[in-house]
Amino acid sequence: MDMKRHYYEDVELFKTNTALALTVLFLAALASIPFLVGDYALYVLNLIAIHAIVAIGLNILVGYTGQISLGHAGFFAIGAYSCILLMVKAGLPFVLALPAAGLIAAFFGFLLGLPSLRLEGPYLAIATLGFGMAVTQMIGHSDFTGGHMGIHAPKMSFLGFIADTGPRQYGVIMIVAVVLTLAAVNLMKTRVGRAFVAIRDSEIAAEAMGINISWYKTLAFAVSAFYTGVAGALMAFALEHVSAGSFNLILSITFLAMIIVGGLGSVMGSILGAALLTYLQLKLQIIQEAPLIGPFLIEISKRYFTTEGLPNIQSIVFGAIMIGIVVFEPLGVHGIYLRCKRYWRMWPF
Amino acid sequence: MNFFFDLVIGGLSIGACYALVALAMVIIYKTSEVPNFAQGEMAMISTFVAYSLMNTYNLGFWPTAGITLLFALVLGMILEVAFLRPAKDPSILGLIVITLGAEMILYGLAGWKWGANQNPFPVPFSEYSGISPGGVMITEINLWTFVTSLVLMLLLFLFFRFTKLGVAMKAVQQNHFAAKAMGIPTRRVLSFTWGLSSVTGAVAGMLIAPISTLDPNMMLDPMLKGFAGAVLGGMTSLPGAALGGYLLGLIENFFGGYVSLEFKSVVAFGVIVLILCVKPSGLFVRHFERKV
Amino acid sequence: MKKSLVISVSMVCLVLLAGAFCAVSAAEKVRGVTDTEIIIGQWGPQTGPAALWGAVARGSGVYFDMINEEGGINGRKIKYVLRDDAYQPAKTKAIAKEFVEDIGVFGVACGVGTSPGMAVRDYLMENKVPWVGPATGSRHWTEPFQKYLFALYPRYTDEAYVLTQYATEKLNLKKIGFFYQNDDYGKEGLEGAKKYLDKKGIKLAAEVPVEVTDTDLKSHALKLKESGADAVILWVLPKHAATILGQAKAAGFQPQWIASSTLSDAPLMYKLTKGLWEGVIYANFLDMDNPKVKKYLEAQKKFAANEQNTGVFFIAGFMFVEPMVEGLRRAGKDLNPDTFVKAMETIQHWNDWIGHDCTFTPQDHQGMKSVFLSKCGPQGQALKISDWLTYPEGK
Repeated sequence: MDMKRHYYEDVELFKTNTALALTVLFLAALASIPFLVGDYALYVLNLIAIHAIVAIGLNILVGYTGQISLGHAGFFAIGAYSCILLMVKAGLPFVLALPAAGLIAAFFGFLLGLPSLRLEGPYLAIATLGFGMAVTQMIGHSDFTGGHMGIHAPKMSFLGFIADTGPRQYGVIMIVAVVLTLAAVNLMKTRVGRAFVAIRDSEIAAEAMGINISWYKTLAFAVSAFYTGVAGALMAFALEHVSAGSFNLILSITFLAMIIVGGLGSVMGSILGAALLTYLQLKLQIIQEAPLIGPFLIEISKRYFTTEGLPNIQSIVFGAIMIGIVVFEPLGVHGIYLRCKRYWRMWPF
Repeated sequence: MNFFFDLVIGGLSIGACYALVALAMVIIYKTSEVPNFAQGEMAMISTFVAYSLMNTYNLGFWPTAGITLLFALVLGMILEVAFLRPAKDPSILGLIVITLGAEMILYGLAGWKWGANQNPFPVPFSEYSGISPGGVMITEINLWTFVTSLVLMLLLFLFFRFTKLGVAMKAVQQNHFAAKAMGIPTRRVLSFTWGLSSVTGAVAGMLIAPISTLDPNMMLDPMLKGFAGAVLGGMTSLPGAALGGYLLGLIENFFGGYVSLEFKSVVAFGVIVLILCVKPSGLFVRHFERKV
Repeated sequence: MKKSLVISVSMVCLVLLAGAFCAVSAAEKVRGVTDTEIIIGQWGPQTGPAALWGAVARGSGVYFDMINEEGGINGRKIKYVLRDDAYQPAKTKAIAKEFVEDIGVFGVACGVGTSPGMAVRDYLMENKVPWVGPATGSRHWTEPFQKYLFALYPRYTDEAYVLTQYATEKLNLKKIGFFYQNDDYGKEGLEGAKKYLDKKGIKLAAEVPVEVTDTDLKSHALKLKESGADAVILWVLPKHAATILGQAKAAGFQPQWIASSTLSDAPLMYKLTKGLWEGVIYANFLDMDNPKVKKYLEAQKKFAANEQNTGVFFIAGFMFVEPMVEGLRRAGKDLNPDTFVKAMETIQHWNDWIGHDCTFTPQDHQGMKSVFLSKCGPQGQALKISDWLTYPEGK
């Protein structure tokens, strides 16, 4: 059904007019949201958008190129700090500082990509993990970056326009997110994207096909770091204050969980995973206030556990979701979506 | 000069704990090919069980230790059966995520059951006194840590060398399918490796808890260091991983003692990245290029 | 052709998005106050690495329950909303927005942690949310001055100053080592100690930092021993305090330990160190011997019978909201953020609480500046060894 007869059919962004129409509808919905909901919902959407950018970046590295990274919180921190420092200390405007922050992160991604050329599996995991921890330590101990206390972000502004209210911030973050998402979808259809996938599927076969492994592997790290860096910079403005301690290993693991839950090797999956996990993270903490489950959990806690430890259930649910997805639906939420789509297409057979 | 030897003792005693965690990780890595991120929390839960046995049921230390090790064995096997076995043809990344999920579940359970309070972990040997040859203090707990870790390593070595089960485990490690064809119940062997690894981790937990304090976050740092030690020595070699753990303990202590305490925790990772650049499979393992 | 269509449509959408930039107007009536209710929110880490301090937020909850049972404040009952931020600033910010936008709280109480607090400080101030008693002694609550923010926890810098002064003047210990957590908490303590010592022209014998995640403190203990300090000031978490005392004793190093108020739960520390805490001098910001504490613990038995952690930090949750309730009372029936601030600023040398000498002025919102010192006795009991000491006079 998806037969392609022409090269241009393979590289075009929208396969059918329905896809195009749906995308347009989706974008229109995104654009109209600020008129409908309050500041809190906008902030949640901002977080989702930022996490989606990270997830897309991480998916380029993990899902498409087949590398692993437990250090993306490091790139996130680099992006956040370099954007703020470029604006505060070098006086760059936001429009320039944002991509510059991404490029700085990309440079570090390139550096981290170098040792990765020889490492794989747990060795790469520990190397990236070490990188992430080292970044936070360095930032936390340097007075230039404000030390452990962290630094305050200036207001986002460009061309005299200041994004200080919730809807404005949402606008800026969403535009960046949409642009980066489209860029990622496009990238995956080019020679570069196909090279990434080839490396994931078989390094040796890819090399035999004439793909320069060293170049594309480090490039994957750099691109992934660029996305994460830009997201980090946006996060700095969403939070208004960043401190080194919050970019920890748990954050890196959460990013990884997002793409696993969403679906490896899929831009759509990255967005779904980021949305689902971000939402759960914010909402699971009031699980004891949920109807039916809540009183039941409180009763169990009183009898067998401790009541003050009850909020820890969020961690249990989170873990169970991660395991459940890998065990039952290795393609993640995106896989569930694909299955539903296939089911309905062939319905009623 | 005493400062130097004190650092050596400190490095070796924490290194012994890292070595135990490293061993636990390598045991699993060799059969399941997954770095087990739940290792630390498995040890933490076991240690909490020991604490409860001593505190709530007033058991003595030695019976407690026995029951705890048994519990750890069962815990490891349950985790394998419940979480890893159902996954069909998972990728390595999928396996890692399963262990991360298990880590979160165990962490949550511990927090739910025992709260966030810090607890003292009593042991029948002194943390403060011991022998001091030439003015260098070696406390009883240090001695116990050395002895336990060495004995455990020896036992593991003998186990893998001379028992039927141990040899079967090695067979599963080397070639899963051939082992199955030879009539080895590979699934049972796999879950037993998890149990064995969990026991090793629990010993580490019970040795770390007395010098630190017991709370759900207790094993986060030792787990990472143990993992790092295992990577340093080589994830596929038991003696290599143990040596890696010791080495890491020494590096940390010397760096902390002579250079900078601030970067003590990070330097280990820096050293590892450097070493991995030269020896991509760790110090004590021969690197082989993957074949097509 | 299609491609250009896509591009043009995307452009339209981006423009639409840009159109979303107009601000939404705010509500006029007082947020979080009705004739029968005042909504007060608090975030506190109930999970994650800082969960130990979650007791503060639960303590405040019991205090509000107690106040409600006594009839509330000016006919209004307090509705208390507790959220878990797991010590992650991103979550704290979400909670703050939820408080302001979704739930509509009148004010915020306590809130553990400096970096989570800093992520929401400006947001809360811009939205005129009164915030009383952040549960850390950072100076960033009052520097620069914030109109709607009232700090109670004595500043770490002041506290360290007073402790160092006590060690050098009363105990006559001149070689002082400083063992601190390498973040804003520890560094502010270090700063305070140095401030005093600089005045006297003394140098610290040792400055030994510890990372929050460190487990093995042997090299730290050896460093302290090398310095030969007579007294070591501890500005760390309970876990690290317990570990360093054990490691130092094993290394044959037993100075006079002096601890910050975050380690002021003597029974807990005594248990945790298996008795080594005996003889340690530490600062207190609340008086556990105050008769009110007994009443509070009875309230705890009634409203939170399952609570395990009823130590100093649980009670601190009561203390940090006492002035807030007093302010709400003084503000009277006509309650809004501005009348509340005015009412809070009338609280001067107020002592009807378990802290000491609460004073807010329109220029200074640091309510409490005193600590008193105790020594841990042979069974882990607290022995008071000084009166309230106030910075900068510092008796």
